[in-house]
Amino acid sequence: MNALADMIWCELRKVLRARVPLFTFLGFLVMPLIGALLIFIFKDPELARKLGLLGAKANLVVGSADWPGYLTLMVEFTSLGGFFFFCLAISWTFGREFADSTVKDLLAVPVPRSSILLAKFIISALWCAALILETTAVGLLLGAVIRLPGATAAVLLHGTKLLLVAGTMSILLVLPFGFFASLGRGYLLPVGIAVLTAILGNLAVTLGWGDYFPWAVPGLYVQGAAVAPFSYGLILLTALAGMAATYFWWKYADQNR
Amino acid sequence: MNWIIETENLGKRYGKVRAVENLSLRVAEGEIYAFLGLNGAGKTTTIRMLLGMIKPTSGSATVLNTRVQPGNREPWAQVGYLVETPHAYPELTVRENLEVARRLHPNTDKKAVNETIERLGLTAYAERISGTLSLGNVQRLGLAKALLHKPKLLLLDEPANGLDPAGIVEIRELLRQLTREEGVTVFMSSHILAEVARLAKRIGIIHEGRLIQEMDMEELERNRISRLLVRTREAKSAAATLAASGYLVEMGKDNELELKDPAALEQPEEVATLLVEAKNPPTQLLVEQEDLEQYFLRLVGMNGDSK
Repeated sequence: MNALADMIWCELRKVLRARVPLFTFLGFLVMPLIGALLIFIFKDPELARKLGLLGAKANLVVGSADWPGYLTLMVEFTSLGGFFFFCLAISWTFGREFADSTVKDLLAVPVPRSSILLAKFIISALWCAALILETTAVGLLLGAVIRLPGATAAVLLHGTKLLLVAGTMSILLVLPFGFFASLGRGYLLPVGIAVLTAILGNLAVTLGWGDYFPWAVPGLYVQGAAVAPFSYGLILLTALAGMAATYFWWKYADQNR
Repeated sequence: MNWIIETENLGKRYGKVRAVENLSLRVAEGEIYAFLGLNGAGKTTTIRMLLGMIKPTSGSATVLNTRVQPGNREPWAQVGYLVETPHAYPELTVRENLEVARRLHPNTDKKAVNETIERLGLTAYAERISGTLSLGNVQRLGLAKALLHKPKLLLLDEPANGLDPAGIVEIRELLRQLTREEGVTVFMSSHILAEVARLAKRIGIIHEGRLIQEMDMEELERNRISRLLVRTREAKSAAATLAASGYLVEMGKDNELELKDPAALEQPEEVATLLVEAKNPPTQLLVEQEDLEQYFLRLVGMNGDSK
C-alpha cells in the first residue's frame, strides 16, 4: 500500500509539473463555450447577427434554446470530445515514459510493476474526472450567464447525471489506451486507435450493433437510447481487460528503450 | 568465491539475428569488471538481460544469488544501474527526479537525496529543471539515481559518457572509493578504454555477441604486444645490419623498423650500439607497449592505428 501511495505521489508530481494537463484543461473549456455560444445565437439570432456572430447562410441545428436543449448539446459534445481528451491524458501518462526514455528507470526496481501501473491508471482516471467536473461546472455557469429558460432542478440534475455517467463510461473505456501507449511505446498508436474506435463506433451504431461495441455505448446512452445491461458489463470488462493487458505487457515484453 | 553476477550460456536472438550468444561470465564481489565491445556487440543487450528488462532466449543469469526472471524483484533493492544514455523527467527538478527514484526504492532514507546531490556535485543544479541540464549533468543525475539507495551492485553502461575530463576523473575516484570502502561491485561497459585500463580489475571482451576473452588486468599485461620502433637515416641498410645480427626486423610505415624479439625489447641499447657501429645511428629508439585500445582492436580483428 505504501508503494502504491509513493507511486501515486510520483505520477501526480509528473502530471502537475507538465504542460499537457494544462492544455487539456484549457481545451476542455472549449466545449461548454461552444455549446453556450451556439445556444446564445439560437436564442436571439437577430442580436447575434448584429454582433456579427451569425452569417447570412447560418443553419443552426441546436434543438431548443433552453436548459434541456443546452444540456443535451453539452452532453453530446463532451461524450465525443471527452473521449479524445481522455485518450490524450492516458496516452501521455503511459507513453511519456517511452517518449522520454524514462521507462528503463521503472523496470529493475523493488516496487512492483503492478503498483507503478495502478498509480498511472488512478492518476489518469482522476485527471479525466477533473476534466468532467470542470466542463460540468463551467457548463452550468455559462448556462446561468446566458440566462437560459427552463432551469428546473429536475432538468439540471438530469443533464448533470448524463454528463457524469457518460464521462465515467468514457474514463473506463480509455483505460485500454494505457496498453496501446505501452505497446506502441509512445503516443501515435493510441491516438490512431482512438480515431479508428470513433469510426467503428459510428459504424456499429449505424448497423444496429452499438450495444455490442463498448466504445459506442456512451453515445447511445446520451442520446437516450435504451442501453442493454450487458453493455455496461462490456464496458467494465473492456476496462479490466485493458488494465490486465497493460500489466502483462509490462511484465513480459522485452524492454529495449 | 562469491559471484555477484553469473551468467550461463546466456543468449538473445531477434529472429535470425543473434544479439548475444553463449555468454558465460562471472563477476566477483567487490571487483570492477569492464565489459568491452564495439557498437552493436551486445553489451547493452547483456546489461538489459542482467536487469530483467529483456528475456534471454537461452541460458540464464543470476544477480546477487537470485535468478533473473519476470516478476522476481528480489535483487533490485540492492542494484543500481545506468542503461545507455541516462534520461530524466524533463519537467522535474534534479531534486524531484531523485525523490521519484527514492520512492522507487522504498526504505531509502530521505536524507539520501541531499547526500547524493552533494556526492555527485549537483548542489548548484538541485533546483534546476532537468530538461535544461547539460549532457554531463544529466549523466551525473543518472549516476546519482543509480547510487541513491546505496546498492551493492552497480551496472553501468558507459558511465563516463558526456563527462568532461575532470568529471571522468571524479567518477573514476568515486567508483574506486565505492569498491574499496563500501565493497560495491561494479559491472561497467565503456568505450573509453584508457579509462577502463585505469579502473578495472577484470575485463570481458564481447564481439558479435560472443564473449571472446575474459581476463584479469595482470593477464592483459602479459598478453599485450611490445615492440621496439627504430628510425635511422638509411632504413634498408639498418634492417640488413640488424638481420645480420639475428634480429627479426619488419619494415613498418614511413621506413620505421619494428622489432618484437625479447632480446631487442630487453636490451634496446644493443640495437643502438649495432647501428652506431655500422655508421647508421638511430634517430629514434622507442619501446612501445600495446595499450588496451590497440589490444582490443587487434583482438576483434580491427587493426586501428597499431601500425
